[in-house]
Amino acid sequence: MSTVDAAPKPPLFRAAVRHPAVVPVGAVLVAVLIGAVIMVASGIDPVRAYTGVVEGALATDNLDYTLSVFGLILGMAIVFAIPLRMGEYNLGGNGQLVLGGITAAAVGLYAPLPCALLVVAAVLAGAVAAGLFAAISAPLSERLGIPVIISTLLLSPIAVAFGSYLVRFRMTDTGSGVSQTPRLPDAAHLGTLGDLRYANVGLVLVLLVLVVFWLVDSRTAVGFELRTLGANRRFGAYGGVHIGRLNLGAMAAAGAVAGVVGAVMVLSPPYRFIDGALTAPGYTFAGVAAALLAGGRPLLLPLTVAVFTILQVGGAGMERDADVPRQLSEVLQAVVIIVLALRTVVEARRARTGRATT
Amino acid sequence: MTTPAVELVGIGKRFGAVVANDGVDLTLRRGSVHAVMGENGAGKSTLMSILYGLYRPDTGHILRDGRRVEFASPLDAIAERLGMVHQHFKLFDSMTVAENVVLGQEPRRSGRLRRSLLDRAAASARVTELAGRYGLAVDPGARVGTLPAGARQRVEILKALHREAEVLILDEPTAVLTPGEVRSLFAVIRRAADDGATVVLVTHKIHEVLDVSDEVTVLRDGVVTAHVRTADTTAAALVTAMTGRDVVPAQNTGRGEPGEPVLEVEHLAVSDGERTLVGDVSLTVRRGEIVGIAGVSGNGQHDLVATLLGTHRAAAGSIRIAGVDVTDASVRERRALGVAAIPEDRRGEGTAITMSVAENLALGHHRTPPIGASSGRRRGLLSGRAMRARAQELIADFDIRTASEQLPVGSLSGGNAQKLVVARELAHEAPLLIAEQPTQGVDIGAIEAIHRRLIGYRDDGHGVLLVSHEISELLALADRILVMLGGRVVAEFARSDATPENIGAAMSGADQAVRA
Repeated sequence: MSTVDAAPKPPLFRAAVRHPAVVPVGAVLVAVLIGAVIMVASGIDPVRAYTGVVEGALATDNLDYTLSVFGLILGMAIVFAIPLRMGEYNLGGNGQLVLGGITAAAVGLYAPLPCALLVVAAVLAGAVAAGLFAAISAPLSERLGIPVIISTLLLSPIAVAFGSYLVRFRMTDTGSGVSQTPRLPDAAHLGTLGDLRYANVGLVLVLLVLVVFWLVDSRTAVGFELRTLGANRRFGAYGGVHIGRLNLGAMAAAGAVAGVVGAVMVLSPPYRFIDGALTAPGYTFAGVAAALLAGGRPLLLPLTVAVFTILQVGGAGMERDADVPRQLSEVLQAVVIIVLALRTVVEARRARTGRATT
Repeated sequence: MTTPAVELVGIGKRFGAVVANDGVDLTLRRGSVHAVMGENGAGKSTLMSILYGLYRPDTGHILRDGRRVEFASPLDAIAERLGMVHQHFKLFDSMTVAENVVLGQEPRRSGRLRRSLLDRAAASARVTELAGRYGLAVDPGARVGTLPAGARQRVEILKALHREAEVLILDEPTAVLTPGEVRSLFAVIRRAADDGATVVLVTHKIHEVLDVSDEVTVLRDGVVTAHVRTADTTAAALVTAMTGRDVVPAQNTGRGEPGEPVLEVEHLAVSDGERTLVGDVSLTVRRGEIVGIAGVSGNGQHDLVATLLGTHRAAAGSIRIAGVDVTDASVRERRALGVAAIPEDRRGEGTAITMSVAENLALGHHRTPPIGASSGRRRGLLSGRAMRARAQELIADFDIRTASEQLPVGSLSGGNAQKLVVARELAHEAPLLIAEQPTQGVDIGAIEAIHRRLIGYRDDGHGVLLVSHEISELLALADRILVMLGGRVVAEFARSDATPENIGAAMSGADQAVRA
């Protein structure tokens, strides 16, 4: 095929349109507008509702709790983002989270270790268990051709059920009627941050993980190879990238991060593994949405995670102040995802009619 | 003269910077078989997609029986009695032949309540009737999943006939067929045409065109290069129309004696599990020589070079690079031993268009200094500064036109993207360079620049394996030329003996009088 030069546009304009932050910001703006339309249609004042959301999440009294949720969603966003860099979708966050949590609980309860070591060992054990579990999906994909998105999604409930089984029949707190482990000893509690009640050392841990993810992504050969595979898998294979090894490493790393998040949740108040308590708040899929919105880019993750954290935490404030059901914040989260999906459809249609998208 | 069944007039279609069709005219007469020929990327598929309503043309229009028609989707094309049999079948494996054929236009049972039910007996009878009329042997009750490729294709044809298609488009119909199946397909095509149907046969196999078609239209680089009656043409003339580019002057002047071998291939075979793609190929490339591989595309050249690089697996035989057996080695091991490659599919394999020019130039160099480090304290780290510096060097050296090394490769023109690929691969200084269609889809200036580079690379004592569909390019560059046909090397010419005529004859198989 012959080629001609594309129509010239000012380079600054093109660079601005191509900036990686354009899409997430645009998607959130569109979602906020659509949300406002929905509210007006149901007779709700959108200004009051949105003020309620933001105040609910960011009021001084709530900030502590919002920060802790931010850390957990950020962790789960990294869990999804690492394999996303090479074009794989890890939907097994829940199973990896539970496996990490239950392992950390087991170590905290039964390992005969001195104080400082116990909490470190519990976090590490959670990371290793969840990392090994998540890594199973790599050979399944490379050797048997089962896509990672499928195997992670299907393996996840098995791990969740395994965690339930352990907490109900093997590690139950016999004193209470609830399916929960005994309270972990003080030595296994994560350190606090000043006089904050919710946010603790776990938040710092997740931020450290984010920094490591960013450094690996931007400054190492492995990160470069991951991004290359994500941009064009055949290009990577032709260039000599070992896809199987990288997939294994990415899934293990993602699982390990999920394990850390699970451990952080168990080693924080109420210092127990409670059946269903890790998956019920929906941090996993809030993380998936935030990571998708950021395109997996490490530096955009804190921004998109902040959006979803505010929606999630602020929903309660909105209900209280504006008398808007908190389910509306779930609607908003869903609208963000639909807007993202629409973009893919629009691009595909543009390609069909032959207008260049780049 | 009667009105043609379909006329495509002045069809133009662009995809971004790529012109897929440029002012293409195609006239399909009723009751004839019209072959549309061209290499991969010549624009055949785009043209057929426009005819079938999958794409809308940027310019030009379609006449059906002299009426102007607009196809917004394939449904409109089907309503105008067009039918298409795609290269990859669109059938439901778990359903029967009859169910697949009538799907979308099912005969219904009678009665108020049963109107929503499929009348299986009528469906079966319809398939038997159609199959009998056109000589298509199928069992209406068989599950499609259990049928061989030839039978599935007959199901696809029946599907089109059931919808009363008068214009039947067959996209590369013989790619998946055995020789026996090809013969019966051609019999069906002839019978349909004699029955008044109009058949469009999209192919790049010359002998098929000569065997079955009444007229031929040849596309190259999106324009029509020949439109003739089949009876008035020859295999050599069609090869020239498909591949002949007359701008390339002979540049290969003088060379020393070739040195030690850098690539030794013995009895190599490649298979996709069903068919043999490459059969029993042996060849050697030495330092200081360019070995050309000629052939109409789809005759195993691509599978051969993919196996040499390691992205495909060999079924039999051995490959040695720089004296080391690499038959089972990974791509990275082979590259480390000394092979670089310019792939045929620039956008699909040779670049990542969303990544920057600098990053695209770095792949393969990212684990060695100065960009990466293979050992020591900085092992595994990447230097962004070195990456950009290397990119700026290569951009200047190879005259890659881009505003910045930070822009995505998708913003480059085809010629500049190709120069980027050539620059990255030559920078390896690998003893063996595999260059597959190194000038496909680039403008004349870039062609000359790339040709000069390849000759210079050889003169520096490297070996080059050059795969090209362009005879003129091979004559300009290669020291020896091998010809591939049907996955085998069927001829070898020394540079001094090679002419467009004898290579074209070997490419078309005409010198062997073999007609599969």
